[in-house]
Amino acid sequence: MLDTIISVWATQQLTLRTIQHLSMFFIALSISIIIAIIAALLVYSNPRVGNIWFNILNVIETIPELALFIFLLPILGLGEPPTIAACVLYSILPIMRNTYTGLANVSNEYIEIAKAIGLTKNEILFKIRLPMALPLISGGIRVAVVYTMGIITLGGLIAAGGLGVPLQAGIHQYNIPAIIIASLWVGTLGVVFDAVAWIIENKLARRYNPW
Amino acid sequence: MKFDHVTKIYKETKAVDDVSFDICKGELFVLLGSSGSGKTTTLRLINRLIDPDEGTIYLNGNDTKDMNPVELRRRMGYVIQQIGLFPHMTVKENIGIIPKLERWKEEDISKRTNELLNLVALPPDYFRSRYPHQLSGGQQQRVGLARALAMDPPLLLMDEPFGALDPLLRMQLQNEFLSIKRKLEKTIVFVTHDIEEAFTLADRIGVMHNGKILQIGTPSELLFNPVNEIVSKIIGSENKFKAIKFLQAKDVMIPMDKKYLLQENMTCQEAVNIMISNKIELSIVKESNGDIKQVILSDLLKNEDMRRSINDFGRKLVIVPPDENLSSIITLLKSSNEKLAIVMNQNEIQGLVMIDSVLINLV
Repeated sequence: MLDTIISVWATQQLTLRTIQHLSMFFIALSISIIIAIIAALLVYSNPRVGNIWFNILNVIETIPELALFIFLLPILGLGEPPTIAACVLYSILPIMRNTYTGLANVSNEYIEIAKAIGLTKNEILFKIRLPMALPLISGGIRVAVVYTMGIITLGGLIAAGGLGVPLQAGIHQYNIPAIIIASLWVGTLGVVFDAVAWIIENKLARRYNPW
Repeated sequence: MKFDHVTKIYKETKAVDDVSFDICKGELFVLLGSSGSGKTTTLRLINRLIDPDEGTIYLNGNDTKDMNPVELRRRMGYVIQQIGLFPHMTVKENIGIIPKLERWKEEDISKRTNELLNLVALPPDYFRSRYPHQLSGGQQQRVGLARALAMDPPLLLMDEPFGALDPLLRMQLQNEFLSIKRKLEKTIVFVTHDIEEAFTLADRIGVMHNGKILQIGTPSELLFNPVNEIVSKIIGSENKFKAIKFLQAKDVMIPMDKKYLLQENMTCQEAVNIMISNKIELSIVKESNGDIKQVILSDLLKNEDMRRSINDFGRKLVIVPPDENLSSIITLLKSSNEKLAIVMNQNEIQGLVMIDSVLINLV
């Protein structure tokens, strides 16, 4: 049993694949978070463009991952760039939607008093709304974590490297141990990251929205 | 501060209807009225959370419309019933939020926070780093008051700040608030629907109803000279008069304190010194012929020759027996235009009835 795992790990270069996988994961997630939060802040300040934004993102969200890859291939070629782009396109919506909801739904009581004691509109946005929205934002990021993990695995199809590669190889060669080990490993990573995100979300909720 | 014919319209109803009044520096002005009477709207007009549709609001003679609303608000403290401490900030961060935005130095903010926490009777070492949800309602409201005072604003706006607290705690906080108020000498506009609270705290009360100010006056003016039935209904004058009929002088008097007594034939200078050091405005003189007179500090000060005897300045005084009932004392005082009566029992001074403090205790 252990022998099989060790030999599959070695022949499929799982250490290398894991590093590739995680580096794509962190790059994609960071880009998504930055774009989504900035976009949410912009949309929040100009609500008129909000609907258009969310409609576009909703449409993207309905395109199957594989189809999205095919759209992106002529533009970005093969490999990591289209994979990361797809991750970002999918992840922006959950983070942005949660950020926007978090910003908009801060109880009026706090906004009213903040205004009354003399905070400007921007100070209210950054000192009151944004921190109080953090638990919801992290909830959105948690959804994005799961999406990103899955899409990067699919990236194996378009030569992006990562843990999708041993899975593809296993399927083509009908190498059942490789399929099982690689998929269990991806699954474990997914569960671990989701758990980490969950812990952070809970911590933030207790810190920033204790009531 | 001055309201000049101010009107605010919400969907064709006048929330505030042609309201004019002045608030003097250092006074605690209460806007009293039921919900929907326009008192909160009036308060929010002051710091421009809303702007009037007609009329002008002046602050130190300047139209508030010409001021930057953010700067204006930073010069006024604001306390509300829901308190509204920011849950993601510690007590210190909550109190220091505006000083920090005003780019105070960190140590100045810490110093100010400690001062204010001491002022509102919360030991800074214990409370500074706590989050609002770790505090009781009363403690939160104290922090709310401290936050309002952070910039040492000359004007404080308070919207039913004690309304959500249970009655006992409310009374305690009102008393604390009064003593803080005496220390700080701020102008305060205070909104409430609670008549007892209004009478305990107010220097003057403006009674509001349907967006109009019906009457402005001191508590006793409102109680005894309500301009119309609505005011007397809001104040509940009828009920108060019932108590006035069965209370007697000895029930409401303040026991005589020796510091109020002056020797006859004292010079004005001596009397003035004694009264000032005792912090009293008024003294009683018992003359050798048995007459009892009152001597008023301002009378002595206005006089030019400080060597004259105080006997020359004695004024007549309302004297009542201990079993005189309160309503006849009030009638007597009113007819002689006095605020003070002496309770005497067989040539022995037993106490003083100060009508203003009696009324406050009654309500």
